[in-house]
Amino acid sequence: MNDVLLTFILIVIKLGLVLGTVLSLAAYMVLAERKILGRMQMRHGPNRVGPFGLLQPLADLIKLLCKEDLIPERADRWVFMLAPAISTITALLAFAVIPFAAPLHLFGRTIPMVICDLNVGLLYLLALSSLAVYGVALGGWASQSKYSLLGGLRAMAQMISYELAMGLAIVPVVMSSQSFSLTAIIAAQQTLPNAIRHPLAFLIFVIAIMAESKRTPFDMPEAENELVAGFHTEYSGMRFGMFFVGEYLNLIVLGAMLTVLFLGGWHGPLLPSVCWFLIKVLGVAFFFIWVRGTMPRLRYDQLMAFGWKILVPLGLLNILVTAAWLLWRG
Amino acid sequence: MPTLIIDNQTVTVPEGTNVLEAAKRLGIEIPHFCYHEALGSVGACRLCAVEFREGPVKGIQMSCMTPAKDGMVVDTGSAEVLAYRAQVIEWLMTNHPHDCPVCDEGGECQLQDMTVAGGHGIRRYTGPKRTYQNQNLGPFIVHEMNRCIQCYRCVRTYQDYCGGTDFGVLGSRQRLYFGRFSDGPLESPFAGNLVDVCPTGVLTDKTYRFKSRVWDLQEAPSICPHCSLGCAVTPGARYRQLQRRRARLNNQTNGHFICDRGRFGYGYANHPDRPRYPLVGHRRVTWQEALAAMQSKLQELGELFGSGSIGLLTSSRATLETQFLTKRWAAALGSDQLCFEAHPRRDFASRVAASQQLDRSASLEDVRNCDLAVLIGADPLSEAPMLALALRQAARRGARIVIVDPRPVVLPVAFERHAVSVDKFSQLLRGLGRPQQGDFSSSMEELGGSLANALLAAQRPLLIGGTDLLGPQGTQALQHAAKACSQPEKPCRTMFMLTGPNSFGGALLSANGPGFDSLMEGMEQGRIKALLCFEADPLADYPDRKRSRAALARLDMLAVFDCAATATVQESDFFFPTTTVEESVGTLINNEGRMQTFEQVFSAGTPLAESASGSHPPRFFTRDIPGSEPQSAWGILSALMGRSADLDALRREIEKNDHRFAGLSQLKANGEGRRIAIPSQHPESLPLNIASSIGSDQLQLLVTETLYGSELLSSLSPCLQELIPAPFVTVHPQDATRFKLEEGKKVLLGTPMGDLTLTLRIEGDMVPGVAIVPRLRGTVLEPLVPGTESLPCRIEKV
Amino acid sequence: MSLWRDIRGTILPFWVTLRYLFRRPVTVCYPERKQIPAPRYRGRLILTRDPDGEERCVACHLCSAACPVDCISMQAAEREDGRRYAAWFRINFSRCIFCGLCTEACPTLALQMTAEYELATRELLQVVCEKEELLIDGCGKNDQYNFYRLAGIGVAAPRGSNPGESPPVDIRSNLP
Repeated sequence: MNDVLLTFILIVIKLGLVLGTVLSLAAYMVLAERKILGRMQMRHGPNRVGPFGLLQPLADLIKLLCKEDLIPERADRWVFMLAPAISTITALLAFAVIPFAAPLHLFGRTIPMVICDLNVGLLYLLALSSLAVYGVALGGWASQSKYSLLGGLRAMAQMISYELAMGLAIVPVVMSSQSFSLTAIIAAQQTLPNAIRHPLAFLIFVIAIMAESKRTPFDMPEAENELVAGFHTEYSGMRFGMFFVGEYLNLIVLGAMLTVLFLGGWHGPLLPSVCWFLIKVLGVAFFFIWVRGTMPRLRYDQLMAFGWKILVPLGLLNILVTAAWLLWRG
Repeated sequence: MPTLIIDNQTVTVPEGTNVLEAAKRLGIEIPHFCYHEALGSVGACRLCAVEFREGPVKGIQMSCMTPAKDGMVVDTGSAEVLAYRAQVIEWLMTNHPHDCPVCDEGGECQLQDMTVAGGHGIRRYTGPKRTYQNQNLGPFIVHEMNRCIQCYRCVRTYQDYCGGTDFGVLGSRQRLYFGRFSDGPLESPFAGNLVDVCPTGVLTDKTYRFKSRVWDLQEAPSICPHCSLGCAVTPGARYRQLQRRRARLNNQTNGHFICDRGRFGYGYANHPDRPRYPLVGHRRVTWQEALAAMQSKLQELGELFGSGSIGLLTSSRATLETQFLTKRWAAALGSDQLCFEAHPRRDFASRVAASQQLDRSASLEDVRNCDLAVLIGADPLSEAPMLALALRQAARRGARIVIVDPRPVVLPVAFERHAVSVDKFSQLLRGLGRPQQGDFSSSMEELGGSLANALLAAQRPLLIGGTDLLGPQGTQALQHAAKACSQPEKPCRTMFMLTGPNSFGGALLSANGPGFDSLMEGMEQGRIKALLCFEADPLADYPDRKRSRAALARLDMLAVFDCAATATVQESDFFFPTTTVEESVGTLINNEGRMQTFEQVFSAGTPLAESASGSHPPRFFTRDIPGSEPQSAWGILSALMGRSADLDALRREIEKNDHRFAGLSQLKANGEGRRIAIPSQHPESLPLNIASSIGSDQLQLLVTETLYGSELLSSLSPCLQELIPAPFVTVHPQDATRFKLEEGKKVLLGTPMGDLTLTLRIEGDMVPGVAIVPRLRGTVLEPLVPGTESLPCRIEKV
Repeated sequence: MSLWRDIRGTILPFWVTLRYLFRRPVTVCYPERKQIPAPRYRGRLILTRDPDGEERCVACHLCSAACPVDCISMQAAEREDGRRYAAWFRINFSRCIFCGLCTEACPTLALQMTAEYELATRELLQVVCEKEELLIDGCGKNDQYNFYRLAGIGVAAPRGSNPGESPPVDIRSNLP
């Protein structure tokens, strides 16, 4: 009885910690992106609210909360209202299975530093990232706007295409670690991160998650100069804010996935495991921002051709080679 | 029919057409200053030079001076020609001042256009510029001689076309001066046309001075509402203010020009006293309140006294749409007390005029082309000024003009004059109706007979009648005379001067309806309890003002829909502001039966110049335009009848309802209009002519229209106000000696409307035994209305 | 070789952006530091006076005609001496796009642009400027030009007495 209660309390504490960290991280990711992009373009970036603009996320939040919540007259009301929530919640739910530090040994108890260590955690992640498409697609459809609809369509097509490549890139990892559990996958990388063991899979995975997060150079769904703002054209106020936060949450989720699957998770010398995990996630996030500051947007046909004609065959080939190698090594 | 080639295109034109006109037929516009379609060619400006490659003439020639001939090959844009034109422009510009920014012509200046088009930008000639002193040319025209390019258009317009004598060209060589011999107002009532013809800014509109630029003006094709001729005009408005009127080309009516009453009479639309708000019992209310109050009052009266207790009245100022809807509304109310003119004699005269075979009615173009015009009881310059100009054009082509009238008639052309008093008209018309018969019983009949023979002998004969003096019977007699003077191949055309711009429409719609006399009786007997006046002013227009005032005072309800502060508006229980011609769309039918539509120029509202306070326009945000309450009368009627205010649907309905208006929905405002083909039926009974006996110590009182001051709308125009003469009475020298009167002295005129003190004028060129007074609104002469039976009057020294 | 070039072309920009990340920004933190605009900067519009101290504007409507956003409105009027001037002249700076076409169109050099660019306000009517707020006591960029002395219609000085004019013609004379 006592044990169950303790486990429950621990889960609640972990939940609170993860939720708080991830949400504030997402908020500051926005600021970091604006700052870094600004500096890359020889601008200052936001520097008005608080010292170095550090209170900017708060100001943005207040602004978004205070803005009028517009629902287009002919929109599908309920779907319109639901869509941003889907996109935020799926991103948040993904954190349930991500181990963010080494298990903690406290008072004779081993506390796993993951909210829920599912043995099919990887499949859960893949499922959630597929669900995230719904937020975008439904939002685009429900807005009753051409731009939104086109944005939603593009997002759907793009995510389905690149999900395949992403799934194929994960297969070698699962094969080598022989488990779908993320804890097991991290454990298997104690000596050598999967990025080095499966470089091609790593590359495919990086590209695929970039596409999955709808970021430059794959930001076709919200291509400003063609579609105004794509699927969230008609959204305002906090509903738009939820899409926005969802996007940055996604950035962190995908960074965490990359860290867990290919960069050795929380493994690292000297520093505590949770620090290593954060460093790796933030590093990935910085890389994403850097890419955004550097690369132009792809053309839509290039995007699809690249996904289906290059990434998918490469991923399949990679699986074959890896399988053969594993078989040969026994 | 010579055939020639201009810029590689072949064109065949009538004999005598010049090359410039021939090119225009091909859509090639050869630049020109001095040539004008109405004025002809003089070859003064040298700008219309073209190159003749083949044919009877070779080399560079003026296209306006060269008649088209077979075999000509013309190049309008060869390098040599362009260089020639550039040279001409450069010469013209050597003396032209650099004052385009302060010149009112800017934006519609031909010289400006040609200078820019020709590429002349820098003045190479460094010598001094010629300057002139300007003249004060009166209240209409501003003179700035420095801008002159010596095209002679003004002189040709003023002297040749309009018959003015006080403006011409002076000096020689470089010192040509276009002006008067000394300062003073231009005398011709067509002087305003100088503004339109001047290709630069020498002669500009004084009333429009520094008001706007042409590109800022709201303009639309419209119709002049100041007489029954329906001249085509283009009004221009800006900042809710009607700022000017220009002539618009309509070859069938006014041609290129209009009269000064039409050009400068626009001020009524901006009049500060114009009522702009719905009033109930002189209290300002909203439209909804006013309409609801009137509806409930009407319903109450209808229930109490029956539908026959409601009388409706429109006037010749109302559009066809308004008149039609008034008729519809009368039917909906169940009332047959509907009348289209408050002046019964004029009403029936119009009905008679509208009942003749309309292929015999003459347009102004027919007047310009006639070779004999006989005018009976008509004073064109006062009643329909553009008719006078058309008669001048006929006379310039050799036509004979005969005027039979008791008044001292003036025309801008020489004419034959017979001073005949009004009561002899019937004899004259009897003679006129019996050509080629010798048995005349009086000299008047003989005169009529001789005129009739002349009409029979003429190729394009024309009879013109003034309905005011002829009355319904006279109008009818004139029609009979015209029929008698017609031959199958050359009909004697007729033209009648009617009361207002849409008298004809009212006449067509009224058919055998009651005249205003019968409505008046109804009001006096208490049968009619309510009178609804749509743009009508029964107080001022009914000949007997005492009677109309008493009758209107007996009414339970008087509702007035009008755009001007008339006498009736002051007495009204319900008042609804309506739009002017320029502020709405509609159709007017002119005196020859020509349906013409006009478009909306601007939206009604208090002019910014009036509502602005201090040194700038208002500085606040508002959704409401001040003074924008006026609505078109037909729009209000639509609302009252619960219909949608859809003009196209309304016009289609009028067409469908009355086949005489066929083609109405197809009419374009910028076209020539459409003549009504089928006449209305002749009125069954005409009001009797009751001539009152004139005692030996009395004179016959004759009230006449006059150029400025008689017509309601133009008399409200501020710039015409100073031209309205002081009240006067004109008598023959015989009568002056009989009553021992002196020219210029005050006399007392005893009329049935009261005793009036007036200035005396003595005029030899009129019939004796008559005292002629003009109708002058807003003066002591206001109660005297023209177009009545002859009345006796006394005249004595004060 | 083409693949190598593509890879190079993809990688090199990352180096460029990374380098720029550590450069000093070129933008200026505005309210603390204000840049001094060039003399021909297109800022707030003014109405100038001619060397005689009279208003240069003759309300010719050319600026309002040239204005692509219709932010200029005016009404011309006539002074007793025949001089045309603006009875009122209004520029709505909330519409103005500072393109300068009006100053190019101005034939009397009345309308000129200044380098003043701090026009933002919360009160919309404050940027709707009337003639009193636009008119300055000076000639602006040109202190020579006086339109009325060169126009040739004798407003600033009697006819014939302005530069390049001959005395008025005697129309009564028939001498050659």
